[in-house]
Amino acid sequence: MSVAVEPRHGNPGALQAIAAEHARSRRRRRLRGLGKHAFLIVVTLLLVAPFYYVVLASFKSSTEIFTYPPKLLPIPPFIGNYQKLLGDTGFLRWMFNTLFVAGTVTLIKVFMDSMAGYALAKLQLTGKRAIFLAMLILLMVPLGALIVPLWALVNWMGLTNTYLALILPPLANPLGVFLMRQFILGLPKDLENAGRLDGLSEFGIYRRIILPLIKPGLVVLAVIIFTDQFMSFIWPLIATSSDDLQVLTVGVAALRSHGGADYGLWSAAAVMSLVPIGVFFFVLQRQFLARSLAGALKQ
Amino acid sequence: MTSASTPVSPTGTQYAIEILGVTKRYGKITALGGVDLDIEPGEFVVLLGPSGCGKSTLLKIIAGLEDLTDGEVYIGGKLANYLKPSARDVAMVFQNYALYPHMTVRSNLGFPLKMAGRPKAEVSQKVETAAALLQIGSELDKYPDELSGGQRQRVALGRAIVREPLAFLMDEPLSNLDALLRVQMRSELLRLHKRVGRTTVYVTHDQIEAMTMADRVVVMRHGLIQQIGPPDEVYRRPANRFVASFVGSPPMNILDGRIATADGRRTFIGPFPVEITGLAGATVDDGPAAIGIRSEELLLTTEATAGSFPAVIELVEPVGADIFLTATVEAGTVITIRVDAETKVEEGATVHIQIAPGATRLFDAAGDRVRLAGDGA
Repeated sequence: MSVAVEPRHGNPGALQAIAAEHARSRRRRRLRGLGKHAFLIVVTLLLVAPFYYVVLASFKSSTEIFTYPPKLLPIPPFIGNYQKLLGDTGFLRWMFNTLFVAGTVTLIKVFMDSMAGYALAKLQLTGKRAIFLAMLILLMVPLGALIVPLWALVNWMGLTNTYLALILPPLANPLGVFLMRQFILGLPKDLENAGRLDGLSEFGIYRRIILPLIKPGLVVLAVIIFTDQFMSFIWPLIATSSDDLQVLTVGVAALRSHGGADYGLWSAAAVMSLVPIGVFFFVLQRQFLARSLAGALKQ
Repeated sequence: MTSASTPVSPTGTQYAIEILGVTKRYGKITALGGVDLDIEPGEFVVLLGPSGCGKSTLLKIIAGLEDLTDGEVYIGGKLANYLKPSARDVAMVFQNYALYPHMTVRSNLGFPLKMAGRPKAEVSQKVETAAALLQIGSELDKYPDELSGGQRQRVALGRAIVREPLAFLMDEPLSNLDALLRVQMRSELLRLHKRVGRTTVYVTHDQIEAMTMADRVVVMRHGLIQQIGPPDEVYRRPANRFVASFVGSPPMNILDGRIATADGRRTFIGPFPVEITGLAGATVDDGPAAIGIRSEELLLTTEATAGSFPAVIELVEPVGADIFLTATVEAGTVITIRVDAETKVEEGATVHIQIAPGATRLFDAAGDRVRLAGDGA
């Protein structure tokens, strides 16, 4: 049995017109979609190309790098650059120094900043506003303006050429405290109060209630601090002169002064330097999602 | 016996909670202006008042979550001013539940006991008992965000119950539930109170909750207690104009006028003639005054009778079992009348209104209710 469809506009041609309009609209959407994808592909290529070039160069010998037309796939791969990097330079030592310094700074800072953030956000302290204001002002002072007095201070303390010279100064950066304060301010006061009634101390509230709830914030902070330390160059260059204390950035930069322009070696160093930070991101990305606050409070 | 370090209540009585002259100031703002309140063991006391009246502040002061500026709080006969919240033997249910979102229902319920260092077996047994009591036994391994509003509310209650405290403090615990669930939880809470039998201090701005649940209602405004009494007394014999207009829906009709003495006889001169019994002996001066009449104490008559006055019906609002009528009397004064749903009345009709005998409350120029002979209080 067929069902008669009454044309919506009382006009037999109207249905066909509507169908045609739908078809046109579909075509337009498809074209727009194609355009968007083409644009995205171009942007992706622009972003990936330099990185790919570095990886490519790291697997080529010095002569191969400059052949024309360039080989787009390093087959067979030349691993001499990596052998040289790991065997003839202090790369592994630099890597250890970097990971040790960045890891230590990250651990201490995440702990300290979250505690200070909690205090500034939730505790009743005399002079809290003044402290917070001082931190905001300090945030605006560029590193360049601090380097000389900082070096003088570290030198006076007899810390030059020690790990402490690399670890202590970054701990004083107030950015993390600021971030943590803002994060913790968003947590409802009733949760702390519930903790107080349940017999938690202030530290207990921080550790058992606040910390688990600000996990995404802690991860963001850890990533910021770690990458910042991983890439920091000026201060490690100034604070240390001993080869044993060189960090990656300083060590890789120093490669340029040894043995002329070895682009293959530099590229291998750049690629190897990216490994830990890639692993760090990969491990932490799953931690970005903490249990949402949804269940705690009224909707 | 009480040790010397924990002072007992100066009144020497065994109130569950005793509040003496409690004041709370935030800078220049006074949140509580000298509050006195005694709460008997097992009593269900409701703090009722509009937003900002200080009811939640008072509750937090009892809980130890706010410091008081002046005064004393005794819990279980012991001075609690300097005790930590956890040492006060009270449990609180928060307006927004305040469940720990990163813990399961089981951990949420057991957390206060765990913190108190109770053995695992005991914690587990008490959690199971509380969960069974609140019918959330099957939700124990869920996280708060997997629960419905009502279930979260039960978990919040359960967390208070497992502690077996001297008193429950509840800060508008039902205000986030939808209307139907609120009614259901209200009666469940009452049943629970009857079973558990603990002193409860309950804060709300919802007068229905206050009237249905309370043994005594404490009406507050501007940080001061306006009246303390059983719901019926607060409703029938409000201490002042504020209580009269805050408690009851629709609010009490308050009609301004004045008291005058003519020919040695005292009368109230208002928008319509009112006979106030007991006015002769009342301790009130001649001058401005007001009367209050509940909407259900105004009776409709079809014909003018002695003491009745005419009014024009402006608005008819059926609310189920009742109809609220808004009427204008001759002097332009608007009053609300509650009649049952069977009453046939149309907008624009002229009716005659009779005041039920003894229904008139008299308020003096300051707004306080004047005791009249025969009104019982």
